[in-house]
Amino acid sequence: MSEFFHRKLERSAIGFVLAIIAAASVGGIVEIAPLFTIDETVEAAPDMRLYTPLELAGRNIYVREGCYACHSQMIRTLRDEVDRYGPYSLAVESKNDHPMLWGSKRTGPDLARVGDKYGDAWHVAHLTYPRDVVPESNMPAYRWLARTELRIDDLSEHLAAQRMVGVPYTDEMVKDARADAYAQANPDTDGVPGVMQRYGDETQVRAFDGVTSQLTEMDALVAYLQILGRLTDAAHKNTAAPETSPQPLD
Amino acid sequence: MISTLTRTERFLALWISMAVSICGLALAIAGREDPLLIHGLLILLFGLVCSYIVMFGYEEKAPGTERLSLYYDEPIKAGVIFAMIWAVFGMFMGVWVAAQLAWPDLAFDAPWSGLGRLRPTHTTGVIFGFGGNALIATSFHVVQRTSRARLPDQLSSWFVLVGYNMYCLIAVSGYLLGITQSKEYAESEWYADIWLVLVWVTYFVLYIRTLARRKEPHIYVANWYFLAFILVVAILHIVNNLAVPVSLGHAKSYTVWPGVQDAMVQWWYGHNAVAFFLTSGFLGMLYYYLPVRAQRPIFSYRLSILSFWGITFFYMWAGSHHLHYTALPDWVQTLGMTFSIMLLVPSWASAGNALLTLNGAWHRVRDDATLRFMMIAAVFYGLSTFEGSFMAIRPVNSLSHYTDWTIGHVHAGALGWVALITFGSFYTLVPVLWKRRQMYSPALIEWHFWLALAGTLIYVFAMWNSGIIQGLMWRTYTEEDTLAYSFVDSLKAMWPYYVARAFGGLLFLIGAIICLYNILMTIRSPDKAESRDDVPHPADLALAGE
Amino acid sequence: MSVEERDPVSGERLTGHDWNGIKELDTPIPRGVLLFLIVTHIIAFALWVLTPAWPLGKSYTPGILGIDQKKAVEEQLVASAADKATWTKKIEVSDFPTIQADERMMLIVRSTGHQLFGDNCAACHGSDGKGRANYPDLTDDDWLWGGDVQRIAETVSVGVNSANAGSRIAEMPRFGVDQMLPREDVEKAANFVFSLSNPQFSQPANVETIAAGREVFLANCATCHGEDARGKQDVGAPNLTDERWIYGGDLDTIITTIHGGRRGHMPTWDQRLTPAEIKILALYVHSLGEGDS
Ligand code: HEC
Ligand code: HEC
Ligand code: HEC
Ligand code: HEM
Ligand code: HEM
Ligand SMILES: [Ca+2]
Ligand SMILES: [Ca+2]
Ligand SMILES: [Cu+2]
Repeated sequence: MSEFFHRKLERSAIGFVLAIIAAASVGGIVEIAPLFTIDETVEAAPDMRLYTPLELAGRNIYVREGCYACHSQMIRTLRDEVDRYGPYSLAVESKNDHPMLWGSKRTGPDLARVGDKYGDAWHVAHLTYPRDVVPESNMPAYRWLARTELRIDDLSEHLAAQRMVGVPYTDEMVKDARADAYAQANPDTDGVPGVMQRYGDETQVRAFDGVTSQLTEMDALVAYLQILGRLTDAAHKNTAAPETSPQPLD
Repeated sequence: MISTLTRTERFLALWISMAVSICGLALAIAGREDPLLIHGLLILLFGLVCSYIVMFGYEEKAPGTERLSLYYDEPIKAGVIFAMIWAVFGMFMGVWVAAQLAWPDLAFDAPWSGLGRLRPTHTTGVIFGFGGNALIATSFHVVQRTSRARLPDQLSSWFVLVGYNMYCLIAVSGYLLGITQSKEYAESEWYADIWLVLVWVTYFVLYIRTLARRKEPHIYVANWYFLAFILVVAILHIVNNLAVPVSLGHAKSYTVWPGVQDAMVQWWYGHNAVAFFLTSGFLGMLYYYLPVRAQRPIFSYRLSILSFWGITFFYMWAGSHHLHYTALPDWVQTLGMTFSIMLLVPSWASAGNALLTLNGAWHRVRDDATLRFMMIAAVFYGLSTFEGSFMAIRPVNSLSHYTDWTIGHVHAGALGWVALITFGSFYTLVPVLWKRRQMYSPALIEWHFWLALAGTLIYVFAMWNSGIIQGLMWRTYTEEDTLAYSFVDSLKAMWPYYVARAFGGLLFLIGAIICLYNILMTIRSPDKAESRDDVPHPADLALAGE
Repeated sequence: MSVEERDPVSGERLTGHDWNGIKELDTPIPRGVLLFLIVTHIIAFALWVLTPAWPLGKSYTPGILGIDQKKAVEEQLVASAADKATWTKKIEVSDFPTIQADERMMLIVRSTGHQLFGDNCAACHGSDGKGRANYPDLTDDDWLWGGDVQRIAETVSVGVNSANAGSRIAEMPRFGVDQMLPREDVEKAANFVFSLSNPQFSQPANVETIAAGREVFLANCATCHGEDARGKQDVGAPNLTDERWIYGGDLDTIITTIHGGRRGHMPTWDQRLTPAEIKILALYVHSLGEGDS
């Protein structure tokens, strides 16, 4: 019977096309649409901060260089991963990420909580030539980052585009993006209070690559790495992981 | 090639080439302060070269109506050559990436040669460059023969083929320039994505028009698969690539999908790119060239129906198995896992259907390396789908995810299935296309077969080993219930396997180069055979090779 | 399909179609396939009933087992913490000499210390703890901040020049950059410092420079590095008379150090690691070299 039906279907190209579309659409719709309607999909995190323009620029460099090919930013709900990398990742931590950078391969370690794990100078040395600091490493060298000036003239446009896809940047943030990027890597300049006021007191303002005279791609990438896992405390509050009990040493 | 176009088509071709040039120029001007400049210029150059080629042949004698009584095979020939060039390029990049993972200093002090930029040139080069061209070429061949209908016109097939290669070129050069969306297998930026939509819609329309002209009442199974491939890839591509460019003068865009939803959309796409590009399309290929070469009827028509609809329906649910234990909600993971398990049945049904078709032709498998390519491909298809369904089980995935095991699985599918079925099909197709009695050197086919098989086995076994060791080292606990190994300990343990993989990959690459050489020599060889297969009427089984 | 055609090899019926020579058998779907299909469906169905599976607009079916991956891992973490408590508590409450005297506890220290050190400290200090350019060797029994285990534990906990409020502060001033010393004096001081670990460097030709450098040193550096230049562990100032250098002991590097200053950064670990883990690391680090008991 079904075979009889199928023989009919086989005789109509358009019928076949419609049947394929019908069969193939269901799965995607059922799995994707509810992710927007079920509230608990993305946890609440009132303390969530936004990427500063400099950090966003750094994130774009991370994308450009393909770091995601070797590094995940998604600590799974598995005991060994929590033991090694810290509290498992929550959906809310990437709620403003376009695109997400969860990754699918760990040639290198997970980076979801690498922010503040090492110093800026270590990151600069490591990115310049990883085997200088980790002789066993097979990570590529990114020497040019420190000698390439960061493009900041178009950061307002970047923030505006981010706002179009739903990231809540304010008008002021969009307008001052360029100045904010500069100030964040130049701690002694006038723009610093503005950055703190717009992006929160915890914003890290430092000469990330160790040099203040020039704003380089190294500044941006290190600024981004140092913020990973630190935009919200939600993951620490949400978990029973022992790492979170900050008790002073006796 | 221009000589086969009608006057109107030449005019249209020129017009399209000019329009492409103008778009390129516009992009270059708008993006003059951005890497987009280079792509604008590249598109401009591409358009100009096409215009030049069209103009050069513009005044040649137009083809007569006798053309309509012959199949239109010119673009297929070009597609085969493009596919093989991309194969050599993409696999070379694969070997380079593999070598960098073992010897990381095998790079220049230049941004383009870092692993993160080279890796997508490999994946795009092999999947879209090699695989895509092979699919386009064979689909044009198969749809004509099995419909007994000629492609409806000359221009659209060229537009699809050349336009598609322009897409690949923009994509791959973009990664080297640092232009990427970072979405795996969809890394190309917004303007390339839009261009691909145009190409793909034309492809679909062309396919449907050809089917509409068919003289056979029923549509053959191979065409079901090609149709599913074309249609679903279009849906996936459009949804996953929805993005807002920073400006029309920027190469960069931001995807509209946020965080967890982006992850789901991306892997719904990524998994089904595997399903409908690397599986469905190549099953179409298998369903034509295997029975033709084996000279056997398909084992079971009813099994074909079951596997086709099973694959088309189940696959689309399975993407979330790429996100087990992540911040994606549990319920989606369960769906991904269960559908992946159910998916095994239609997958094995098609592998079984292929292998059982060989019943009665096993002596040919023994003697004919070409058929052996296809037979081994079906075996690897069965193997990698079994492995895939196994890895989709959450606890198994907790071990395999993020490790080289995934890479081993990928290449069991990519080398063992995708590449081998393509080689087998090409060795069947090339003598037919160029009207030669057989391939230039059967001995070289034999060499290629053993190199490819050895390369695949070395690659896959190395990665299974390293992946499982890696996964186990990451989760080994000491007696005191603390982690036993640091990450770097696991990294050190990978080294011998990375060397072995690079070696296996090199063997595979050498095989592909031999294949390209063999094809080129076949084209050059004077040994013409009488045409048997270029007329839209039921030809007999006497195809090339035997 | 009027005339029934059969395949001579299998004896099966053909469907009657012919596409460019390709035919199909009408073989029924093998039983095994159907069975397999049913089995996989049963598995899927069972999982849908037992675990969260189907979306329902604003919620989803929770499954009767009440499984939740987050809860599951947290329960495991709590259970393993409780399991480990037998020895972690002991490490937390015992003082260092007691632990060091206990062979069994030291075994635990060495086996767990390996991974902790490898994933947290090796990036700077090397997987063998021997340090490398700009990062101190932890095996050489030459300590900036003191090598008894308690001091090491404090260093690890609060870090050096770190974000921790109680961080140790180590600052080698930027004598050249901040124009605290003229260039000649920087070079003189450097010559003097260099000569301390390279006695053969004192030649008649440069005794004067070295002597002048000594003056500069006593006036500017001794407060931190001590009159004998053997360093002071309370300010983290290194010993300058030995062969062990953080940043390098050649003349050029010494000049660079004095000119531009140094401000080594050792992160704080009291947020990332538990008190027991920090104690383990301190013992582990201490055991890497001869220690300084
Ligand atoms: C070939 C794969 C590869 C690529 C590409 C790669 N890395 Fe790595 N990365 C590694 C490996 C392996 C390690 C572990 C060894 C080490 O520390 O170097 C690592 C370590 C790191 C660490 C230290 C993590 C930790 O917790 O110790 C950071 C940070 C990092 N990489 C950032 C990056 C950035 C940023 C990029 C891109 C610009 C990048 N990596 C590209 C392989 C890679
Ligand atoms: C980002 C790099 C970095 C990492 C990671 C790091 N350290 Fe350090 N460590 C340093 C630097 C730099 C110093 C020297 C600080 C100074 O100048 O006084 C130091 C100093 C020390 C000292 C004092 C040495 C002395 O001579 O007194 C100890 C002990 C130590 N580290 C242990 C550890 C342990 C244990 C870990 C891991 C939990 C660790 N370090 C991780 C950079 C690092
Ligand atoms: C305010 C205290 C202070 C004064 C004054 C001081 N130093 Fe230092 N010095 C330090 C500290 C702290 C370090 C270690 C810095 C680090 O680890 O990052 C250091 C490091 C050094 C080093 C590098 C040692 C190595 O292992 O690479 C040299 C050389 C040195 N000092 C020489 C001098 C000389 C010469 C002077 C005087 C001109 C001087 N210091 C004055 C505190 C001081
Ligand atoms: C029944 C069929 C299949 C199933 C259920 C399946 C399942 C899986 C699973 C579970 C993963 C690992 C995801 C992860 O942990 O990250 C995976 C990865 C992958 N599979 Fe398959 N697989 C199947 C067939 C194939 C075939 C035939 C190919 C052909 C080439 C293929 C290509 C890939 C690729 C390229 C990836 C890597 C994706 C990425 O992370 O980038 N799969 N598959
Ligand atoms: C000469 C043969 C080949 C070699 C040496 C090779 C090598 C590699 C290497 C080194 C990687 C990166 C793995 C990693 O990041 O750890 C990779 C990834 C990949 N390759 Fe290949 N490859 C070859 C052929 C192919 C072919 C023919 C295909 C497809 C038709 C293919 C598809 C892929 C895919 C899809 C990935 C990404 C996997 C993932 O992200 O999970 N490769 N390959
Ligand atoms: Ca991947
Ligand atoms: Ca894209
Ligand atoms: Cu998949």
